[in-house]
Amino acid sequence: MRSIRFEAKVMNDATVKYAADELKINKDFVELNVIEEKFGLLRLNKTFVVEATIKFDVVRDSIKYLQQILDNMQLEAVVEAKIVADHEITFVVNTSENPILIGKNGKTLDAIQTLLKNFINLFTDEHYVVLVDIGGYKEQRKKQLEILATKTAKEVAKTRVEAKLGKMNAYERRVIHTKLADWRDVTTESEGEEPNRCVVIKPKNK
Amino acid sequence: MAVNFEKLISDLVTPLVVHPEDLVVKKFAEDDESLTIQVLVNQDDLGRVIGKGGKIANAIRTIAYAAASRLGKKINIDIDAF
Repeated sequence: MRSIRFEAKVMNDATVKYAADELKINKDFVELNVIEEKFGLLRLNKTFVVEATIKFDVVRDSIKYLQQILDNMQLEAVVEAKIVADHEITFVVNTSENPILIGKNGKTLDAIQTLLKNFINLFTDEHYVVLVDIGGYKEQRKKQLEILATKTAKEVAKTRVEAKLGKMNAYERRVIHTKLADWRDVTTESEGEEPNRCVVIKPKNK
Repeated sequence: MAVNFEKLISDLVTPLVVHPEDLVVKKFAEDDESLTIQVLVNQDDLGRVIGKGGKIANAIRTIAYAAASRLGKKINIDIDAF
């Protein structure tokens, strides 16, 4: 956790603001602790030795942020967060109107995930992997992609003609790559430029 | 149902900036089909709000777009520093 130490003559809003500027974060997330009070000559003027740290709880604050977005969109939502592994956090969201929140090809879902990831990694030094799922969309999409991958790979192995899949985002391509990583007969490669990058399944030379 | 777009966007942006007192979110123009919202931030915060390659700015736009689509509107967001 990032922290700084400095000396201040007074403790007020300006002190908090100074600490926020130094830590380069919003002042709502700054916590000040007085380490020591120093007295000057004749005990006339005193200075504080202050330690400023970032007050941020990954699970609590990120749920708050996400819930706030959804409230502002006038959607009733249930948000759950879970730390699955070291530096990996997943959010499961369920609302009354899931399709709006998912968007075309999961575009809005990705936007929410990007914002949340940026928000979390702004306040923590460790790099968190953030996954957001809305109404089981990602899980379902993953299953579909795996079926598509297996089906196409079988076809490629049989005909020995390479096959190009439709355009996909990084996460979806990754699902295909991992699914086919241990196949003997085919290799996978990504081609093209974002946002039109797509996976090509090629037969392996023997 | 009225979605308060200014509040939605300012709540999205506020935690990201170092100078929340300089943040201005203002409705610029509104008609039946479209809505323009101007976001002004401090020069030092501009990079954070836009993000690498406009990643954050586009994410904010996509979310606002989704919220506006329920009302059948298009939304434009201008992000700038002063």
